[in-house]
Amino acid sequence: MRALATFILTAGLSAANQADYYLREEIPLPPGEVMEIGSIALMPGKKLAVTTRRGDLWIATGAYEEDLSKVRWSKFAHGLHEPLGMFWKDDSLWLTQRPEVSRLHDRNGDGKADEFETISAGWGSRGDYHEYAFGSEPDRDGNVWVALCLTGSFTADADWRGWCVRVTPQGEMIPTCSGIRSPGGIGFNSEGDCFYTDNQGIWNGSSSLKWLKPGSFQGCPVGNKFHELAKLPAPPAVSDKSRILAERKKHPDFIPPAVIFPHARIGQSPTGIACDTSTGAFGPWRDQLYVAEQTHSQVQRVCLEKVNGIYQGAVFHFLEGFEAGLIPIRFDPQAGLLFAGGSNRGWGSRGSKPFTLERVRWTGRTPFEIKTMSARRDGFTLEFTSPVDPTSAGDPASYSMDAWTYIHQADYGSPEVDQATPKVTAATVSPDQLKVHLTIDGLVQGHVHHLKAPGVRSSSTAPLWHPEAFYTLNEIPR
Amino acid sequence: MSPRIACLLGLATSPLAAQDGGQLYTTHCSACHAIDGQGATGGTFPPLAGSPWVNSEAALAIQIVLHGLDGPVDVLGKTYNLAMPPQGAVLADPEIAAILSYTRSSWGNRSSVVSPADVAAARKASTGRTKPWTAPELLKLHPLVIEKSALTNLTSQAYFGEWSDLPDFTQLKAENIEEENSGLISVRHGLRNDHFGVVWQAEFNAPEDGEYLFRLDCDDFGRVIVNGTSLMEIREIGPMGRAKEGRITLTKGKHPIRIEYAEAAGDQGIALAWKGPGMERWKPLSDLTSGGGDPWPNIPIIPPTGEAVVYRNFIEGTTPRAIGIGLPGGVSFAWSADHFAPELVWTGLFMDGGRHWTDRGVGNDPPAGERIIKLANAPALATAAEAAERWPDRPALAARFRGYRFESPDSPTFSVEAAGLKLLDRYQAGAPDTLDRTLRMTGRPSEPLLLLLARGLPITPVGDGRFSLGDGLAVEVRSPKPARLLGDGSLVLPLDGDATAGIRYLWR
Repeated sequence: MRALATFILTAGLSAANQADYYLREEIPLPPGEVMEIGSIALMPGKKLAVTTRRGDLWIATGAYEEDLSKVRWSKFAHGLHEPLGMFWKDDSLWLTQRPEVSRLHDRNGDGKADEFETISAGWGSRGDYHEYAFGSEPDRDGNVWVALCLTGSFTADADWRGWCVRVTPQGEMIPTCSGIRSPGGIGFNSEGDCFYTDNQGIWNGSSSLKWLKPGSFQGCPVGNKFHELAKLPAPPAVSDKSRILAERKKHPDFIPPAVIFPHARIGQSPTGIACDTSTGAFGPWRDQLYVAEQTHSQVQRVCLEKVNGIYQGAVFHFLEGFEAGLIPIRFDPQAGLLFAGGSNRGWGSRGSKPFTLERVRWTGRTPFEIKTMSARRDGFTLEFTSPVDPTSAGDPASYSMDAWTYIHQADYGSPEVDQATPKVTAATVSPDQLKVHLTIDGLVQGHVHHLKAPGVRSSSTAPLWHPEAFYTLNEIPR
Repeated sequence: MSPRIACLLGLATSPLAAQDGGQLYTTHCSACHAIDGQGATGGTFPPLAGSPWVNSEAALAIQIVLHGLDGPVDVLGKTYNLAMPPQGAVLADPEIAAILSYTRSSWGNRSSVVSPADVAAARKASTGRTKPWTAPELLKLHPLVIEKSALTNLTSQAYFGEWSDLPDFTQLKAENIEEENSGLISVRHGLRNDHFGVVWQAEFNAPEDGEYLFRLDCDDFGRVIVNGTSLMEIREIGPMGRAKEGRITLTKGKHPIRIEYAEAAGDQGIALAWKGPGMERWKPLSDLTSGGGDPWPNIPIIPPTGEAVVYRNFIEGTTPRAIGIGLPGGVSFAWSADHFAPELVWTGLFMDGGRHWTDRGVGNDPPAGERIIKLANAPALATAAEAAERWPDRPALAARFRGYRFESPDSPTFSVEAAGLKLLDRYQAGAPDTLDRTLRMTGRPSEPLLLLLARGLPITPVGDGRFSLGDGLAVEVRSPKPARLLGDGSLVLPLDGDATAGIRYLWR
């Protein structure tokens, strides 16, 4: 009877609305213009720069104001080749376009770019529509990291396709990682380590967030041959119809995906990456990564850790309902604003519009969520955003777990395979009620561990806003 | 309610309303949406056959008929931007109900009947509405229900080639691999209009045990293989309208299906549908776009008054790193950042963005104008030593593109560096049908260098630094050292440090 009463009491609360925690607002766009957003940059003076897939660069004032009807746009440049990466540095906007990294100047100060400086054009293109180049902001050394999509997302018909390269401010191109297939975005965590998203497809059983450790191989061997161009050691020739864990045991340079985004469960096409470097301006997610999603028009949340020198972690659903598929996202830690833009052209997406530019802010109300999920020798430790109710959170029956992996193969994608059901045998609540250690029997190294926590309640009887997590257990702590 | 509508209602409360649906459709709707529901004038107007705007909630379709729809709307992957006029004051509730019931059960549509009460309720829900709907407004109220195709895990792979029969795709190399979340095959997956093939692979989900029919129609070649069995083949060049059926017994569940298609030239199209046990109507496995013509709209790119316009994209006839420039006055060129020189020059319209700005934007876009001359197709800088007799296909000289700038809005300058020489290559429209090019060279090259001006087309010296290039173009060169022809017919210009050369292209 008490369980029923609790259930009835909380059933109403379980339909928690995203708007209680995060407010999404569309930023008005220049009327009549096709604004399929490919990149976003934050500029001094609270200006916002965006590029479109048609090659235009627009700058907005007023995107930080309360009243968005006062947003004003001016066109700074046009004729760019589908930039997918932009930032402001040294009084210029720098872009990563399909053929090059560029720096734009307005020499005569008339508000329009008049010099388009080519910083580096060191990679090749066959003229194929899928040969995208996603560029990061500068790393701690001032270098731009560029992830180069395969020709047709399938072959490597021009130099360095399937590789990530770093471009120095002087324009030198340094090949850095191999094994890339079809990137959707690239960015850094708070340690300054570089990550990118790769899409489900050949040699990618499911989409994932991958760590670009310099010198590493990311899994897809199609672009391996270009090592000869720079006299680098040959990347691994991985075996077909295998498993990532088996292949990386044979090939230590094969760095596994840090966080797999199980296909169709967490989106289908992850894109832009932004790190919450604020001290709580957007919720308690300090140092976590936000990852945009193009097909489902969402933003997911990722917590990362390093175990035995390998990045791994969990992905959670976070924000949804954007008006079109998202490509770039940009986080302003001072203002606590997440800017998001995108397009559905060519690869359909959820939402009512063909393109969008939006901003999200935190209402100040913290949702009851699993803040972090961290691997232990014998299970996982969950940290929550507010104290848990010890009875429900300390009951193993409030949790369930299943696990699986994917075939590492040349075929497009993979079904979930090697299913396992690790058992939660104990749930130990910490004295401050913010942590729960789950003792788990049957962890499987290399598997995605899918945790469901529907029975957990906060100390004020709220259920979790997002009760599921997907943890990629590349390494089990010793 | 106005007396007129009340009067019509009086007449229409008879069983004739449902039977009149087709007649009413022909009178009121077919002018734009066509008798066969495919949209009139070959794709200018949106189709109703297979459209989720018709087949979702009845309320959605009713609202569109009552109040009309303005502005961009995506129907089956194509965006239309027209204005459907409101019919709510023209048609009574029973008439609208009859038209929509007819529409929702014709041409493969299989959605529920619409009653006059449904229409009345929709009128009431939108009282006060005076303007036509826009698509976003409607979608917020009535999201589309897209019927899932029976194909899951559908991938497409395009192949390029010229065939007179369906090729053996297992011997060919695919250009790409794409996941097709719509679950529908389309000729657009071929990436181009002619000389291409596509292989689709998917799981076909059979809802129950029994006999299944598949119907294929294509322009030009195609075949369908289910569970490893070829069901039917179309092996001769020809248009749509030669549909063939095949049948196969399947158990309930998933079965591998492979569809092979190849297009020779001219129009292209593929339509595939299936019918299972007990089903009356065919269900589509292809998008319902009929074949033929460009599947994208025209989006001309025109220089603003007094300014040049830039189009940096894959341009047909030159290298991938192409920078198209449309100068005011109707002269355009494509400058190759791979070869460090202009490779295409033309007059008339500059470029059309339609191909690259529609769907996945596949392929190369040709210049949109006329009198297109291809000047050359090789890296344009070489040492005099390596280009003594003939122009090298791959010069050893390492040159570097530094970018472009606009010293004035109508005049771009491209910057190249090679062997200690800095080259500033500036363009401006001159008199009509004239392109002026100024080369400013600074620095001292470590060895004598040559710039390729033209190659691969007939070049005839006319005297005094003038040459005719191909058919209809002439070039005049004023430089410290004269332009000259190599033994292989290439026109080259020796480059000097700290000098300026003027090159004028004239169309006659």
